[in-house]
Parts: sequence; structure tokens; C-alpha cells
Amino acid sequence: MYRGLNITQLRDKIDNEGISPEEIFESTNKLAHQLQDEYNSFVTIIDKFKMKTTNKTLLSGICYGLKDNISTSNILTTSSSNILKDYIPVYDATVYKKLKNAGAVLVGKTVLDELAMGGTGTTAHTGIVRNPWDKNRMIGGSSAGSASAVALGIVPFAIGSDTGDSIRKPASFGGVVGFKPTYGRISRYGLFAFASSLDHIGTLTRNVHDAAAVVDIIKGLDPNDMTTLKDDNKNYVSSLENDIKGKKLFYIKEICDKKLYQDSNDEVMLKILDEFHKMLDKLRNQGFIIEEVSIDKQLLEALYPTYMSISCAEATSNNANLTGIQFGPRNDGSSYQEIMMKDRTLGFSELIKRRFILGSFILQKENQEKLFLNACRIRRLIVDKINELFKDYDGMILPASGSIAPKFDDSSEKLSEKYLILENHLVIGNFGGFPSITLPFTMIENMPVGINLTGRVKEDDLVLNMANYIEKVTGLSDIYSKVGDSNEV
Amino acid sequence: MKYKVVIGLEVHCELETKSKNFSPAINTFSNIPNENVATVDLGLPGILPVPNKEACRRALMTAMALNCTTPDEVLFDRKNYFYPDLPKGYQITQMTKPMGRNGYLDILVGKDIKRVYIHQLHLEEDTASLEHRSAYSLIDYNRSGIPLMEIVTEPCIESAEEAVRFLEDLRDVFIFLGVSEARSNKGQMRCDVNISLMEEGSKTLGTKVEMKNINAFTSVKDAIEYEIKRQTKILENNEKVIQETRRIAEDGKTYAMREKVDAVDYKYFVEPNIPPVPLTKEYLDSIRATIPELKLARYQKYIEKYKLSEYDAGVLSANKETSDYFEQVLSYGSDIDLSVNFVTTAILSTIKKLEIELKDLFITPKMLSDVINLVHKNDMSLDHGKKLLYKAIEEKTDPMEIVKRENLHQINDETELLALITTLMDENKEQVRQYVEEDNKAIINFFIGQTMKKSNRQANPNKSLEIIKIELEKRKKNNETK
Amino acid sequence: MIEKEKLRKYAKLLMFDMKEEEYETLQEEFNIILKQMDLIAKIPNIEKVKPMTFPFINEDAKLREDIVGDYLTTGEVLANTKQQVDDQVKIPKVVE
Repeated sequence: MYRGLNITQLRDKIDNEGISPEEIFESTNKLAHQLQDEYNSFVTIIDKFKMKTTNKTLLSGICYGLKDNISTSNILTTSSSNILKDYIPVYDATVYKKLKNAGAVLVGKTVLDELAMGGTGTTAHTGIVRNPWDKNRMIGGSSAGSASAVALGIVPFAIGSDTGDSIRKPASFGGVVGFKPTYGRISRYGLFAFASSLDHIGTLTRNVHDAAAVVDIIKGLDPNDMTTLKDDNKNYVSSLENDIKGKKLFYIKEICDKKLYQDSNDEVMLKILDEFHKMLDKLRNQGFIIEEVSIDKQLLEALYPTYMSISCAEATSNNANLTGIQFGPRNDGSSYQEIMMKDRTLGFSELIKRRFILGSFILQKENQEKLFLNACRIRRLIVDKINELFKDYDGMILPASGSIAPKFDDSSEKLSEKYLILENHLVIGNFGGFPSITLPFTMIENMPVGINLTGRVKEDDLVLNMANYIEKVTGLSDIYSKVGDSNEV
Repeated sequence: MKYKVVIGLEVHCELETKSKNFSPAINTFSNIPNENVATVDLGLPGILPVPNKEACRRALMTAMALNCTTPDEVLFDRKNYFYPDLPKGYQITQMTKPMGRNGYLDILVGKDIKRVYIHQLHLEEDTASLEHRSAYSLIDYNRSGIPLMEIVTEPCIESAEEAVRFLEDLRDVFIFLGVSEARSNKGQMRCDVNISLMEEGSKTLGTKVEMKNINAFTSVKDAIEYEIKRQTKILENNEKVIQETRRIAEDGKTYAMREKVDAVDYKYFVEPNIPPVPLTKEYLDSIRATIPELKLARYQKYIEKYKLSEYDAGVLSANKETSDYFEQVLSYGSDIDLSVNFVTTAILSTIKKLEIELKDLFITPKMLSDVINLVHKNDMSLDHGKKLLYKAIEEKTDPMEIVKRENLHQINDETELLALITTLMDENKEQVRQYVEEDNKAIINFFIGQTMKKSNRQANPNKSLEIIKIELEKRKKNNETK
Repeated sequence: MIEKEKLRKYAKLLMFDMKEEEYETLQEEFNIILKQMDLIAKIPNIEKVKPMTFPFINEDAKLREDIVGDYLTTGEVLANTKQQVDDQVKIPKVVE
């Protein structure tokens, strides 16, 4: 009954039509259960309505989903891994606390790729997440359940995390808006760390306004997270309609030039690039200045290995607390070593273990200089290059992906020698902590495709403002999959 | 063949702060397990460390006091390893930019100054503590995250005596700076010892043996002495010392724990959750300005400037409380010799007797200096001054109040004394006769006693003695001429 | 090519084990990433670049004032542990 309504529409129901948040919750809960078997958005669905009414905010009484790698006291938080399958935290993440205090209503903890290390939505301990637009396809990850819960119209927003592209890629595959603000804008306290220097918390919504509305609530300095930024005392919703005439964007030739892909028979990719350039023309007509820039291909090709090096190195250390001693499975053993070995051997899937070994190897004394520190050096070269361009441009615009959501059988999480920069450039946003947003801009073969806009550090308001205009041009706001609807034809 | 002993020390010291190093949990010693633990100290998923400013300040202050160079910013690293007392699976420590580098501490060995070079000083977090019972072990996370300072010396210590002296003096530095009480019985100060022997004249270091986590300084001495004997014997038999970790047992001997196969790779990297915080010159200067004069400097000052004996200088600089007290007494312009006398005897014996600390003693340095001035001006005898002091302590009353109340000023006026003594002689004719007729010299002491009694012990004893002698002689002559 | 035995040793240091075929997959991955990192090492003057750990300089970052704040109750500390004795976490005897 309330399926697919955005925050503004739900606000109207509650404030002007006298519908109680509890009624909306009941209906949302029912829908979540109904779609769970087929799409598997949630690890835990909350069945009891709970709402704090002390503060009246834009999110009072609004239902949402929270990625299951965010700490919620007394609510199971698994990070979609067997090693945490029974873990019930004793403390609240800052983002959860802020949403609770704002009166938002938690509907469920959403499925992710195990420990957020993956981009397919297929590695959770509770099974694969399916794409609402085509259940034979994946939705991408790691914020798979958050993206699918929003794309299914169950909740108007969900919280995700993004270390390489974990919000912005599934947003592209799922036809929703995925926003990762500046590093430090939202506290990471309570977010189970994957790679601390790249991890961001962000939102999945069905329009840009809702992304701004949610971030307005959850942003801010947190004494528990030293990397958070001072409050910018801005209201992002109120700057959405600012004039964008004359705003300058660039796209990268080495990623978007169709001539580079002359030999390719990947028609979907070629179509995406076509549509992308058509969209740029439409945006130019709206007053954006959009230019092509060129970046050393060697640097762009280094993006993926650099990301792998840094993220795996940090991840192997960040997850060293998962030994089963202070929390976790605690298998039997005659020594602590035996317990740790058993817990970790049984608790992690193969992919995770491979990433940990890689990360640990990269950090070894004899490899650190060449593998880890060189990756950190490339990171600087790339970020410096983008910052240099941001002296002239207000943002970088690129296709979020060169493909529509892949089918389950044609992708693998194994590292391969062949990869496209087009598929891996979103990580630039994590390297430099830039605010970055993906929103749907076209449909190809009935599947959504996202466009990505990345802006200067701390200019979250401008990125949302520009994205809001792009959304007006795409006309693809508030789309969702109506599968399972009784009225569905 | 003769061997040269080469010792390097790694000293750990817990810092006293209100909260822990990276969490807001209280930093205090507790016998109740797991009551001072924050999410961060337990390594729960999602936690983030936020470094304690005061812990950083104290580590920087110690680094400066040990003549180290300080970094341009606060930066931490991770040291990765698995152990049940390390909940995060890594320890936050400093590798890239330690709080101090390339310093030294001068220590007094016998009468010579020995300079012990400091390789580095860094700030890290303590681990949880393990209690081993017969069939299992128990983890208490109270200690997890307590700020811990590690000081690594260069391998420049050459005997057990030097090592112990260094440890004692280093502890004094901590206490003088007020950064830690450094009590080894509470495990607040612990040390690892690396020791090797090399042939006299040789330039290559011998094989290093490591002994970890020794609490008591006497154990350090025993362990080193035992190792020197053990390794000397091995070398004399033309055998090879094995590179290993040994533990010290209660019998004072060391036992092999594990052989070092290859060094553990801790995979250090910069802690990504703690952005670097610049250390401004102003901030560093403000820390430097609070560093008090240390023990050795005070000792040398007492001897050279105040001309004290080595013994007195040693007693007065032994700890900061005594030394500060003594210097405050002097700051009121008190006579140095009398100050030394009063502090080393009356004051120190009183606090020992009462089993209290100097700061809890009722007598302030100002009060003591008042008493010393009375004695110095000859307004009161030394003996009388001390008695006044004890009375003041007992009554918890300002000694000057007692002086006023009981009119205790010494009678130095000769006319007044003469009148008193004349009266006494008139009252004790028989004693005067014994002196005059029998030449009984003991009578002098009798009249001294009477004078002190009559004057409430206020009569200046030396002057009284003079007058009594003169008066008795006068009477004797009168008798003879009669 | 990195030997499987080495990889097994690394896994053990990380306190887990894998299946035989998983090590083979890992071996392939190692070859790929090492090849890519070799290319990176050839970028001119790479060694002169200062490694980047933080996305940007955060001038707002401050050390924490030394004030005692919220921490856990003993019950919360032990909530997710399996066995306790005298309010401590029980594990097999640590011998070392």
C-alpha cells in the first residue's frame, strides 16, 4: 500500500493524511517478508514497531534498512559472514543512533557480500541477493540488500557502505540513487571495518532529494571517529535547487571514448557509451559545461591493482579481531591457536581467505615497499591528478558501469587479467574521499544503468545539487521494480 | 679470555592518565575483572581508536626529559600479531614517528657519570592480562588499552649494576616528571633485557639472548649476572650461544623458552583511523616548560652550589617530594645548614614514624622555615626548635602560634638573666655555700638546671652558663676577702 | 610463481587453512596481482612519491581530551564470550 513511496510522499501520508507510522511499518514489514524468499534483501527483518518520538524530523516515522555490517545493540549483526552469524552487538553505531534519535524506523538489517568484501551480492552466508529487475541477474555489492530493498520499493531509503564502489555499483545495477559523501562526513563508528582509509557510509534512495534528506540527519562530527569532519552547518535539501548554469564537468577520454572500443562486440557497453554521450548533450542544453580530459592510461590501469593492494592489506588487519575469543563462534579446541584456527577456517569463505592472504603478503616486510607503499604512491598520483582537474572543474561525470547487472553465471570474484577501467573507476572516489553519487540515467534491455558524478572534497551540497538537475533530465526518479505486486500485469 | 658484556634494555611503563590511550574507559588499576573496558579495548567490530591527548603529552615530556628529538606530528602504526591478550589482533604503537629518538640519560654509577643512549621512545597500548590457572587461562581486559610507553636503549650498558642503576634512575625520571608512579609490583614498569658477550677487543657483537617481561629490578640483576656466567662458560668451552628467548625463574636462574627461528614479521603499517595531528613549536615549548629539574641535576646542585655532603645531597634528592620540600624551605631564605639538619632529621624521621607521606605532613615548608629562622637568629636553641616542631606536629598547630601562645622566645637579655639567676642564688644559699666553701663544681650544673626550669627553658643556655659562673666566682671572692 | 607451500604458511600465520584447490586459485591470483604491481613499479619516479594513507588532510582531526566517558558493564564485556570463570574469559591454558 505504501510501496514505492518516497520520503516526501510518506511524510505527506503521516503529516497530512493521518496515517500512523505503525501502520506503514506493519505494511512494510509484510512486504519485506513477502519478497524475502525470492530476493533475499534482509538478514534480519524487524517485526516489532519501535520509534522514538522525542524529536520531530523529516525522517520521523520513515522506515529504512540498515546494512548488516553496522552495529546495532541487541539486534543480530552478522556482516553476512559465518564467523559473526550469532553476534549480537552491545553498542550502537553512530549512524544508527542518529537515525533512531531522528525517529526513523528500522525495518531490517540488509544482506551484504561477506564482510563487505565483494561486488556481486552472492557471497553472504544467508545466500544470494537477486536483482529486482531480473531475478536471474545479480544486483552487485557489497550493499546488495540495501540496494534491492530500495529497488523493490520496500523502504524509501537504506544505509550502505562503500569501500570501492559498494554503494554506487549496486545502485547502477538496481536503478536507484547511491550516494557516498565526503570521507569523514558520516561517522564510521560502528561500521565493521573493511579498509579503514577507503570505507565510507552512504545512502541508497530512489531520488536525489531523499539522499540529501537522509545525509542531513546522519552527517556530523563524532568524537568516536577521529576522521570525521567538522559540521558544515549546511542543509543539503535546501541547496538542491541552486542554479547550476555554468557548472563545469569533465569526463575521462580514456574511459568514455567509443573509439577505444572499436574492436569490441559488447553491444550493451557500446549502447551505454552512446546513451552516456547523448545524456551529456542533454545536460549541456541545461547549462552544464562538459569537457573531455585525458589522463595517463598507465595511471588508470593501475586503479584496480592499487585498490586491491590497499584494501586487502587493511582488511587482513581490520579483521584480525575475528578470532572467536571475545565474540564469535568459539569452536572447541585444546589451545587458543586451535580455537582461532577452527573459528577462522570455518568462519570465512574462500574468497575472504584469499583476500586476507594477499593482503598479508602485501604487508610483509620484504614486499611492503613494492606492493603496499607503491600502491599508496599510485593512490596519491591519482588523487593529485583529480584534484588538479577539480581546480578547473566542479565535478567528474562518468558511466557508473560499462554493463547492466550481470547474470549469475557469467561473473566471478576471481581476479582476472582482463578488466575494464570502465568497470573500476568508481574507486577514485574512495582514494580521494570525494563525494560521489550514482543515479539511473537510462534503461537498456529493461535493465537500469547508472551515471556517476563525483565532486570536490567537502562539497557534498554541490554534488547533490548538480545530481538533482541531472535527475530532472533523466526523468528516472522514483523508479522501482513492482514484482510481486498484486496489481502487477 | 676476557669478555665484554653488552646489554640493551626495553622498558615498558604505564602512564597515569584519567582515561585509556584510545578509549574513554577509566585508566585505573582494579582487582575486579573486566570492569574498566570500553568497546575499543575489547576490539569489537566497528570500533575506532581516538588517541588521548594527555598520554601523548606525557610521552612527549618524557622524550624531552631524556634528551630525545621529537616528531613533527603525532602518528601511530599497527603491529599485527595473534595472541589471546590482544583483542584487535593488532597493537596500536609507533614505528614511523615515535615520540622520541636519539636521546640519553646520564646515570651515576659509583662516582662516575655514565651516559646511557636511548634509541627511541614510543607510545602504545597495553594488552589484556592473562591469569594462568592449573587447567585453563583467564582473560581480564581491564589492562587492555592502558597507555604504555616503551623506551629502547642502545646496546651500551655493560654490567648488571649499570642496568639496575639505569632502571632506578629512569623510574625516578618518570616519578619526577609525574607521568607515572612506575610501580613494578603493580606491573606498571616492566623490562626486557637483551644480553650478549663479545671478546675483548672484538668488533662483532656476540649472539643475543632475550629475557622478557621482568618486573623487579633485583630480578634484572640476578638474570643478567646469571646470563653472564652462563654465556661465559659456553664461550670458554668454545661452544656457541644460541639466539633465544629465556625466562628468569624464582631461583634466579634463566631457562630457555623458545629458540628464535626467524624474526616475527609484524607487518607494521600506518594506523589509518588516526589522522596525523601536527605538533606545533608552541605546544612542544609549553610541554618543555613544565619539565622539572631531575634527580641527578639536583644532587649535583646540592653538592656544588649548596656545598652539602654527598650523603646529605643523596638523601635530599632521593625523591621529588623531599627535594621539592627542601627547596621550598630554602626559597624562604632559610639557612642552608639548618634546613638540611631539620629536613634530614626531624622531618624525615617524623614522616617515617607516622607512616605518612610528606605531602600529608602538617608542617608546611613555610612553617619549618619560620622555626629555622628562630634558631638561626638565636631566638631559640636548636634543641628547643626541634621540640617546638614536634609539638606543632602533635598539636597540628602552626609553630609560630605555639611560640606566641606560650611566649617561647629565648631570653637573651643579660640583665633579665642576671636578675633571674641572682634570685635563684638567694633562694638556694646552701648550694652557693657548697661552691664557695667546698669548691663543688657540680653546683654550676645545678644552677643551669634551675635557670632553665624557672625560665620555662627559655633562658639562653650559653649566656646563662656564663652568668652563673661569674656570679658564683664573685660570691667566692667576696667570701675570701671577708 | 609463488609456491603453494608458502601460501599455506601465510594462511597458517593468519590462523586459517584452505582447501587444496583454493590454494591453486590463490596462486593464479597472486600471479596476476604481482604482474600488475610489476607494471606499477615501472612508472617513472614512482619511488619519489610520498605514500598516501589518508584521503586528504583533515585539519579538524584532534586528539581526545583526557576525560572518562562511557564504557561497558562487565556483563556487556562478557556478553559474546562462550565461557567465563570469575567474570573473566576462559580459554585453554596458554603455554609459552
